[in-house]
Amino acid sequence: MPSNRVAAPLAGVATAALLVVMFYYPVGSVLAEAVTDGGVTLAPIRGVLADDFYTGALADAIRSPASIPAGLAGWLLASASDIASALAGLVGALVSPFETGLRSWPGAVLAGIGGVLGALAGVVPGFGLFGFTAWQALLSTVASLALGLPGAYVLARFEFPGRRTLESLTAVPFVLPSIMVAVGFVAAFGVNGPLNRALAALGLPTVELLFSLEIIIIAHAFYNAPLVTRIVAAAWESVDARAVETARSLGASPARAFRDVVVPQLLPAVATGALLTFIFTFMSFPIVLALGGLEYATVEVWLYNRVGQLDIQEAAVLAVLETVVSLGLTYAYLRYEAATSRGDRVSSPLDRDPLVRFDAKRVALAGYGVVVAGVFLLPIVSMLAASVTSPEGLTLRYYRFLLERGAEATSAQVSPTLAVRNSLLFGAGTLLLAVPMGVLLALASTREGRLARAVGVLSMAPFAVSGVVVGLGLLQTLVFGTTVLGHRIVVGGPLAIVAAHAVGAYPFVVRNVAPLLAGLDRRLVESARALGATRNRALLDIELPLVAPGIAAGAAFAFAISIGEFDSTVLLASASGSDTSLYTMPVAVERFLGKQTLGRPTAMGSVLLAVTAGAFIVIDRVGGRYRE
Amino acid sequence: MSSLSLSGVSKRYGDAVALSDVSLTVEDGEFFTLVGPSGCGKTTTLRTIAGFETPTEGTVAFGGEAMGTTPPEERSVGVVFQQYALFPHLSVGENIAYGLQFTDHPDPDARVGELLDLVGLDGFRDREPGELSGGQQQRVALARALAPEPDVLLLDEPMSALDARLRQRLRREVRAIQRDLGVTTVYVTHDQAEALAVSDRVAVFSDGKLEQVGTPQAVYRNPETRFVAEFVGENNVFEGEIRDGEFSIGDERVPVDAPDGPATVCLRPDSLSVGAGEYALTGTVTDAEFLGSSVRVALAWENRELTVQTETVPAVGDRLTVAFDHTDLVVVG
Repeated sequence: MPSNRVAAPLAGVATAALLVVMFYYPVGSVLAEAVTDGGVTLAPIRGVLADDFYTGALADAIRSPASIPAGLAGWLLASASDIASALAGLVGALVSPFETGLRSWPGAVLAGIGGVLGALAGVVPGFGLFGFTAWQALLSTVASLALGLPGAYVLARFEFPGRRTLESLTAVPFVLPSIMVAVGFVAAFGVNGPLNRALAALGLPTVELLFSLEIIIIAHAFYNAPLVTRIVAAAWESVDARAVETARSLGASPARAFRDVVVPQLLPAVATGALLTFIFTFMSFPIVLALGGLEYATVEVWLYNRVGQLDIQEAAVLAVLETVVSLGLTYAYLRYEAATSRGDRVSSPLDRDPLVRFDAKRVALAGYGVVVAGVFLLPIVSMLAASVTSPEGLTLRYYRFLLERGAEATSAQVSPTLAVRNSLLFGAGTLLLAVPMGVLLALASTREGRLARAVGVLSMAPFAVSGVVVGLGLLQTLVFGTTVLGHRIVVGGPLAIVAAHAVGAYPFVVRNVAPLLAGLDRRLVESARALGATRNRALLDIELPLVAPGIAAGAAFAFAISIGEFDSTVLLASASGSDTSLYTMPVAVERFLGKQTLGRPTAMGSVLLAVTAGAFIVIDRVGGRYRE
Repeated sequence: MSSLSLSGVSKRYGDAVALSDVSLTVEDGEFFTLVGPSGCGKTTTLRTIAGFETPTEGTVAFGGEAMGTTPPEERSVGVVFQQYALFPHLSVGENIAYGLQFTDHPDPDARVGELLDLVGLDGFRDREPGELSGGQQQRVALARALAPEPDVLLLDEPMSALDARLRQRLRREVRAIQRDLGVTTVYVTHDQAEALAVSDRVAVFSDGKLEQVGTPQAVYRNPETRFVAEFVGENNVFEGEIRDGEFSIGDERVPVDAPDGPATVCLRPDSLSVGAGEYALTGTVTDAEFLGSSVRVALAWENRELTVQTETVPAVGDRLTVAFDHTDLVVVG
């Protein structure tokens, strides 16, 4: 049965070829663009690195390394005095009730804290665009840890109704379109949003949060804190209660046992969560674009802007530098994960306490709950509310607009119905491509052997390459046309968009299927083969049915990722100037967001929310079924 | 006719040697057991016979035909694993019927019924594997392996997940079914008592090498290597030299029927008993385990420990003299 024995390798080769066409070749061409100028040269990269705009204080150092010590000393002196005076201001604000009374105290304290944070931010000499990108990623990471770690504590150590639901909800950010999150934040924290209306009602001064660093960081925390919670809670749940009991029996106090036994097991998880958050926020695009604008541009946003200005080489250099950073961090993460993962099941996890009771600890946790509600629920609820609210009261006209605009729309206007249709079509296309690819790669990665492991690692590379870079690569190669073996190949925009979505989606299929495959007893397949089934027959009869839940969950992920994908889509869909016929829902949301009312973007955002919520329910229902 | 033979089979994983130069022949209808401690190569041998592993050197032949790289599905083997490996998404009946779709059996349905009957699971056809007890699952696994009427049945520690009593009962059932069907069977176990109890012949493995092949009685009574002497049943092994037809144990010079030269001899604990005998050894009791029908006593004697058997429980620290006859002494090799 030779055909049977070559079928699987053939499918593997086809998948590898697709990956090359859809990912490695386009991204490689972008990277190559950065180092070619007639011949191979490093001049473009050096040009960016030595540019004040991109690297700030480092640019000086790169131009003249000799000036570093003197510059460093001056900076230390100046920043120490700045921080000292800001701290003095905060102390003054804290004691101000003695002079000015209690009413203005909260405002004064907030201003004081703001002053200290401002001074801390101010002492950083400014490392240009890259410095800012890393800085906002760092702040976002700190904020995500601050918001996420108490959640891990609550989920891991307390029992309460809805705990499991809450635990599975921490996976939601993976499928939530980031442009939708941005819309939610605009709706919640905008000038006329519920936050400012509440402040005004209380007689407090309103805050201008939009287009500020703060809102970017809070939105990033919205996205990444659940990830931190999820990873750390999982580590906490795998702490063996008997290890703590042993420490206690040997004389350790509860606090000491926590420090000596629990903390060392949590630290790797905290580090993992922090590293992932940093990687994600370093490459974050739609949130920064929508909530920060060009004033708070990160490398990714500026890269997008350069493409818009047709400055492809500078964009390519930025892509190279960004990819180097993110690949390095991803590599560090994978090494770290491999070194720390244990994977053995704990027979006796720590007992959970009931949450509902009255003591100081639980009052503090209630306060945390209020913050969580503010950060997570307020944007979603505000978006839903804004989508059915017009200046005259409740309305469905924005949803009607989504349905009706299709008919009379010209190509220059954004047609919502077309966007919905495009999104669904691209989503279906992504499923067709990403699910088989993901399953095949999962099969390859769970096979023994060095080649299989290499395939596993290479197939995960799209995690570390930003969507804008993938989009740019596809645009430059397949869409603008490329010559292979004398044949001119031009791929249409829709196909390129589906390819970009599939590249972003298939790793999720792999991630959902591979653990189930690896967990299957190999003797199941061996039994089938001893009974007369060929290798491929055993795959069809035994392995695939048993990992079907993982495939379904992976498919739901793939669909949700496609529906919410913005980064590469916005590049590919707006490649042909004013033609809007390839716009998807997220692109339409972003375009609507610039307009006067919030009704249209929030209505479209709500539709996005509904679709991704449906996908999430599928993932949650079927994803973990055979895992026990 | 030899149903199955291995000649010069070796298996290496990189530098690690799992099997080295194993040759053996299994006769038609024989119940042949591979026994040895874990990591000795017995499971690798079974997997090589099944075709799950390809030998680095040597050949596996079925009915005289060399298998080479023939995949498992073309070898006519039935395999039963320790953890049953039932297909969890198929019913009991579907599990048993699975292999029949690759044969030209005229009535698979009836065949499934026969097998359910054979393993005593009538009425379980539509159950899910997960609903069955360990013993029942093992019966299903056996029925599934037997359904396509394989030339060779391979059993890889099939009982070791079960408790002792059930294991014994199921072992006898499996043996009865095997005798009934006359199917050539290769059985892997680490339990030497089990191997002695059920097998027509036994192959003892150690460290990737075949130590000895023979009937249970031959392997027990005439171990060919020190490893076999110590692994199969309990034994007291003495290294020394035969001079003038005599072997020295302590102060006793015992006549043996073997040529002069370096030799390894052994004495079973049940030959070393309190009472009359041609020769005697005296040591200090360091431990005594009451086993019901006898007592196993550890005796410190001449800087080593002997295991002897008594009827009453001696006190630790007692001096104890045990006796044996020259016919009890077995020369290894």
